[in-house]
Amino acid sequence: MNLPVIDNVLTVLVVIPLVGLIPLLVVIRDARAAKQVALVTTFVELVVSLLMLAQFRVGEAGFQMVESVMWLPSLGIRYEVGIDGISVFLVVLTTLLTFISVLYSSAGVIKHRVGEFMAAFLLLEVGMVGVFLALDLFLFYVFFELMLVPMYLIIGIWGGTRRIYATMKFVLFTLAGSLLMLVAIVAVYLASGEPGQRTLSFQELVSGGVRFDPTFQVLAFLGFALAFAIKLPMVPFHTWLPDAHVEAPTAGSIVLAGILLKAGGYGLIRFALPLFPLGAQAWLPIIVVLSVIAIIYGAAVSTVQKDLKKLVAYSSVAHMGFVTLGIFVLNVQGGVGAVLQMINHGVVTGALFLFVGIQYEKTHRRLIADLGGLANRWPLYTTFFGVFVLASLGLPGLNGFVGEFLVLLGTFASDMRPIGGPVWGAIAAVGVILAAVYLLWMFQRVMYGTAREAYRDLPDLSPVEVAAALPLLVLTVVLGVFPQPFIDVIEPSLARMLDLADAALALYR
Amino acid sequence: MTDVLAVLPEIVVAALAALILGIDATVGEERAARWLPWVAAAGLVGALASGVYYPASGLFFRGFVEVDAFTAFFRFVFIVLALFTVLVAPSYLTRQHVPRAEFYATVLFSTVGAMTVALSTDLITLFVGLELMSIPVYVLAGLQRRDEYSNEAGLKYFLLGAFSSAILVYGFAWLFGIAGSTEYSRIAEAVAQEGLGSPAVIVALSLVTVGLGFKAAVVPFHQWTPDAYDGAPTPSTAFMSVAPKAAAFAAILRLMSTGLGPLHVDWVLVFAILAAVTMTGGNVVALVQTNVKRMLAYSSIAHTGYILAGVAAIASGASAGAAVLFYLFAYGIMNLGAFASLMYFDTGGTTRGATLDELNGLWSRHAVGAVAFTVFLVNLAGIPPTVGFLAKFFLIQPVLDAGFAWLAVAIALNAALAAFYYLRVVVHMFMYDADAKAPRLLPSRLLTASLAVTAVVTIVLGVLPDAIYAFALDAAVPVLVR
Repeated sequence: MNLPVIDNVLTVLVVIPLVGLIPLLVVIRDARAAKQVALVTTFVELVVSLLMLAQFRVGEAGFQMVESVMWLPSLGIRYEVGIDGISVFLVVLTTLLTFISVLYSSAGVIKHRVGEFMAAFLLLEVGMVGVFLALDLFLFYVFFELMLVPMYLIIGIWGGTRRIYATMKFVLFTLAGSLLMLVAIVAVYLASGEPGQRTLSFQELVSGGVRFDPTFQVLAFLGFALAFAIKLPMVPFHTWLPDAHVEAPTAGSIVLAGILLKAGGYGLIRFALPLFPLGAQAWLPIIVVLSVIAIIYGAAVSTVQKDLKKLVAYSSVAHMGFVTLGIFVLNVQGGVGAVLQMINHGVVTGALFLFVGIQYEKTHRRLIADLGGLANRWPLYTTFFGVFVLASLGLPGLNGFVGEFLVLLGTFASDMRPIGGPVWGAIAAVGVILAAVYLLWMFQRVMYGTAREAYRDLPDLSPVEVAAALPLLVLTVVLGVFPQPFIDVIEPSLARMLDLADAALALYR
Repeated sequence: MTDVLAVLPEIVVAALAALILGIDATVGEERAARWLPWVAAAGLVGALASGVYYPASGLFFRGFVEVDAFTAFFRFVFIVLALFTVLVAPSYLTRQHVPRAEFYATVLFSTVGAMTVALSTDLITLFVGLELMSIPVYVLAGLQRRDEYSNEAGLKYFLLGAFSSAILVYGFAWLFGIAGSTEYSRIAEAVAQEGLGSPAVIVALSLVTVGLGFKAAVVPFHQWTPDAYDGAPTPSTAFMSVAPKAAAFAAILRLMSTGLGPLHVDWVLVFAILAAVTMTGGNVVALVQTNVKRMLAYSSIAHTGYILAGVAAIASGASAGAAVLFYLFAYGIMNLGAFASLMYFDTGGTTRGATLDELNGLWSRHAVGAVAFTVFLVNLAGIPPTVGFLAKFFLIQPVLDAGFAWLAVAIALNAALAAFYYLRVVVHMFMYDADAKAPRLLPSRLLTASLAVTAVVTIVLGVLPDAIYAFALDAAVPVLVR
């Protein structure tokens, strides 16, 4: 079968949601029409991203489908997009989770201002897709910030009771970090060459012509890493996350956990590490310690949560700890594990937030103590939810296991003096056990035991809810059983990023 | 004749102001009310066109005036700002019984003054330009005669403005004493020879810095700003928060970089510290305001600080001047738009702006107005893809290049701080529901159309800024420090 090949497919991916916004703004007062426009737009976007995936040449390390146009000639800043093994799955994950969010939200969960909600989601999708495609730091920053305002509105307008506190906290944390990154980006621009030859194109910056001196790297890395550490979030910058997740509407939580956090991990791998390897080395001990703390702390705090949504939110902190640990053990196993962990976390935690949301819509309860006995009433729900919980705790055979396992392998294999990789690996492994504790305990309290009278007649999953969850279930199993094809795509590109970092380091040996 | 043609745009705007006063006297304000703003708008466009059709460059009027790319850029900025003011003002002026023809004429006279400031390469022209700009603005502040806050604003602005003019002109006198001339080029030669070792130069430099600092509302010379902006009729506030500030920076750029350019090694650090103090001071006080008009007044002080940082970076070449010019243009349209958005609210015949609570639920009451206001606030906060973001991006570059890394970090942290109070306004418009106490809305089609078009323009320029940035780079060449 020959799939159609689309020219400039990456730009098409950026533009589709924008094009969808036009008819959406025309029918914004008509909830039904707005839903249809948003569904069609996000579905087309998903299909085009899958066609893009089919066009992707496996095994190639460099960027593919690169498009480069001069954008600001006075400054030499380019509109440059491209894709490699690290970003390709993140783009598809974005389009998939956005479609699922829109699908679920259009089934009656969002009751007021539906048109505006859908418009915010399409705008958000532009930013999310763009972040993973941008190869120019300026363009990356624009997309990175473009995600901010729609999410701010989504939490602030359609969120829970403390939504305004939560959304302001989310925005201010993120902005403080990203504005410092802006200063670092400008510093990179100035250091990239003589006036007239300056650039922010990632490919030119790492091609060997540009050398950043060691002190510069330490400071510039800090600027980038702070922005990404807040977005990710790393302990101790994680405090916005539980609030934002608890107050966000279900669809907001899905993309927040599934995509927005990934922008932080992606930024570390793509930009911070290859551009400033000396800076990365300088900050590495602190990041590794914070990652391990995040894994243990996130798990410990999840255990004592009374609120189901907050529990899933804190579990994200622990899972993201594996991502940063995997990136900063600086070997291919760890890095591939980190990328897989990002994809898996996107699928599984996206699904967990979806199911917490579905459950809340039916029972209007989110405290674990108020729930219980749902397994008897909802066999279908229980099956789905059970699989995702098992995947989240890292059961072999499901996707959560693969990423964490590779990260741990990479950690054991690295020699991080003076303490050594095995010690950090051993501590992180405790986090995996704790995950089993809090997730299984939660599942037991929510699904088993005696049900309240009030829950007797609540219906099981509706067809729309099954349709939203099914792709995620399939991915969970496929990624768990056959991870190798995915690793084959990720590995060459990841190895290239580490090689670029090594090459830059070699200049100073 | 070449002298006259060289300043044709200024002449056209001045003639336009006189024409409007003439129409007021003959046809009468009531009968002319409907088409008067369009006369002003057409005249302004004509003035802009006349500058394009008769491009002049060089010194005119025996060296009192210089026409170059710098002048052209400021003509463009001032005419755009006057045009925007004239188009958003009519509905407010009508319902508050502010004399309309006087308002348009006063705005235009002030615009001529501002344009003259950008022309001047001589202290005398500069002073005439500054006064011609300032005096109409004092009038604008007090134009709502029966309102006590408007009176207070006018009086306060006038007294402090006169005070600052006196300081400035005293500084000019010292400069004349040093150089024996009022021409910038001669002053530059003289101060280069004297150097900072001479007490006279220190006195002159300090007085000029303080005097221009008053005009631009630099902390600690900003005390008049909140009351003047808050008390003035809202269309006047919108104009006076942008055009006089841009003119003050035109004066600062030209005088400090050419006349006092030889001393820039010494004054840039002072300017950098003033910039940091100004942006932080403005933002911190803006945080606790509940009246949106007053909050925007403090926010405009913070923006003075950002722009001043660009002036402090003057040693890094054309990118510094271009950053200041681009920022002034961006700040002009976004700040004017933000103040103008407050004209939707009926605050009962006073000049008071709406409070945060009165903005509740604006989105469901007037969607286009709420979205346009939000776009202006996002611009002010410096979030992409807006022209306000690019202004900050262009600004950080020379500041870092000049070696003021701490100032660049201060700009970033201040921008994050400022986002809090800008976005809080969005919270009230979008995330709270209107209650019974919400003030009546007074929508006007012309106001809404002007705001919507300008909001879209700020986004388009946020994606495609290169034409204006290239213009600004070009315009920065005359103010390179030598």
